[in-house]
Amino acid sequence: MAREAKKKTTTKLIALSSTNKAYEFNKPLEKQIKYQGKVVDIKLHEDPKGFSYIVWKNKKYMLDVIEKKQNRYTIMVNGVWHSFSVETPVSLKRKRYLEQQVDSSAGVSIEAPMPGKIIDILVEEGSEVKEGEPIIILEAMKMQNEISSHISGIVQSVSVKKNESVMKDDILMEIRRA
Amino acid sequence: MKIKSILIANRGEIAIRIIKTARKMGIRSYVIKTAKEPNAWYLEEADKIIDFSENFDESIPEFLDIERIIKSAKKHKVDAIHPGYGFLAENPDFARRCEESKIIFIGPSHEIIYRMGHKTIAKELARKSGVPLLGGSPGAVSDAEEARRVAGEIGYPVILKAAAGGGGRGMRVVSREKDIERMYSLATNEAAKAFNNPDVFLEKFVREPRHVEFQILADQHGNIVHLGERECSVQRKHQKLLEESPSPALNSSLRKKMGDAAIKIARSVNYYSAGTVEFLLDSDNNFSFMEMNTRIQVEHPVTEMVTGIDLIEQMILIAEGEKLPFTQKDIKLNGWAIEWRINAEDVQSGFSPSLGTIEKISWVENEHVRVDTGVRDGSVITPYFDSMIAKLIIHAETRERALQLSSQAIMKFWIKGTKTTLAFCRAVLQNSNFRKGNFNTSFLSKELKIHYQNEPDEALLAAFFATYDYAREMNENEEKPLHTENGKAITPWVLKKRLR
Repeated sequence: MAREAKKKTTTKLIALSSTNKAYEFNKPLEKQIKYQGKVVDIKLHEDPKGFSYIVWKNKKYMLDVIEKKQNRYTIMVNGVWHSFSVETPVSLKRKRYLEQQVDSSAGVSIEAPMPGKIIDILVEEGSEVKEGEPIIILEAMKMQNEISSHISGIVQSVSVKKNESVMKDDILMEIRRA
Repeated sequence: MKIKSILIANRGEIAIRIIKTARKMGIRSYVIKTAKEPNAWYLEEADKIIDFSENFDESIPEFLDIERIIKSAKKHKVDAIHPGYGFLAENPDFARRCEESKIIFIGPSHEIIYRMGHKTIAKELARKSGVPLLGGSPGAVSDAEEARRVAGEIGYPVILKAAAGGGGRGMRVVSREKDIERMYSLATNEAAKAFNNPDVFLEKFVREPRHVEFQILADQHGNIVHLGERECSVQRKHQKLLEESPSPALNSSLRKKMGDAAIKIARSVNYYSAGTVEFLLDSDNNFSFMEMNTRIQVEHPVTEMVTGIDLIEQMILIAEGEKLPFTQKDIKLNGWAIEWRINAEDVQSGFSPSLGTIEKISWVENEHVRVDTGVRDGSVITPYFDSMIAKLIIHAETRERALQLSSQAIMKFWIKGTKTTLAFCRAVLQNSNFRKGNFNTSFLSKELKIHYQNEPDEALLAAFFATYDYAREMNENEEKPLHTENGKAITPWVLKKRLR
């Protein structure tokens, strides 16, 4: 009984996007997926040069895995990236439960996308920020780059100072989801 | 003197571009190897590599180290140095050191570079040549009467700006003469409050101008021609993102007027070599001189496509002392060319640079499509240099056709491994005002609301692919360990292929 129950829970996988949209797929993921209630053919290909693409509704979509850390993926489709965490129904339930438990006191950290120097900090502790809003100016590659928040929320703490040099992935600030 | 060898004091695509022409002309090319990209492609294209990767002075970047470059050029007995763009291209000291060392600098003289680089000297030269300028008061205006007089001279609209300030305070745009007195007192009061200094100065105000520049070629015998214009209005924070030639804003009479003005500017400094005269063009087609760039520009290919003239070759011939092989009436603009800059930038995060390795790059080149690039499979985008991956240049009979071919070429331009501006290019191509040629420098901030093109099913397909990859790996994990390469997992397909 127990074994059967376990088997059942892993027949489904869910890709949860950074905007909290859930895409559900039934295993095995082979040649068809359910789309708007219908089963649609999907074909994965690799061209001779080593590029991957999907043929979907007679159109070609170029694919690339930009980042992959355990179950977290950033996938580029035709040059536009999308971030997901891949969950099983159990892990998704757990994740949602934990999110409720942890409540809003946990911050999301904003990390330096590249090494550089902090030119300006556009927000301070307690500032309200919107998704996509620039929060820090980082100088790298001879250019001043705006680092923007990927979530909406309140700035909980700022870990860097003006004129400070940072390494890639250094935490710049923590933002509490609103 | 015939040039037999050139040291290219640059890297990336422009180094390769110069090597191509040098090869065509039977000239030996020398390039500089740095520790920052010891495996770069341009090194392999050159005839000889000068190694700067050891014993380098950390306080000065290799391509800015004038004395080391001069010393190397002398040691290897090269005839000439081409500076490319950026780095030392517009540094008068570098040109002067070349002259002193009897090395031909492929560009204008150091005096010309100095005078055009000095904004007030350049403006004075333009004024004396009778070329329209963005006029203004030389310093602070003493009272409303002086403001009225200066504004009357340069024409409305004008802008009053606090001499001590910035950030919009103490700033007033004045469209009509009857407002000047009131606006002057508002501006001075505001400036006094904000900056403790009431001084304001006055400048011509251009609303949402276009950026149009003219390519100049001039020899050392006083012959000067222009090769038409380049439209460079699609910019983000003064960074050009695409350029075209001709400009949708110009007709032949305006082209002649602006072209003549560009030649006048060049003549005022006895210019020689390739150069670019930049103008602002307002919505009423009034143009004014901004500055002259005394180097080859990134966007030079669009001019090459419509004129059929190899600009690098002309720069070399001019540096040898040759006369221009054509006159103005020989210059014909044929069709339409557009250059799309493909940068390693994350458009979805405010165009921030996206470092990493270009795992694979592929495009289709043909009679309409030219690609200038310094990267290939395995090239690394480093934080030390600019983020440009490639310039995709499309040439066709008409603008409409060039746009159509651009869409196709962009869809066939594949890059694996890094985020790029390709989705931005597609978004621009979708914009109806861009398609109509109806845009100016405010295009990105006002017109193009979403900076990347995203089709409805793409998120679903991305989700599917992430899930598919994850599921495959889970299955494989039960039998064998995870396959990773440089910390990045290999897709099951790549792996399958390699195991075959």
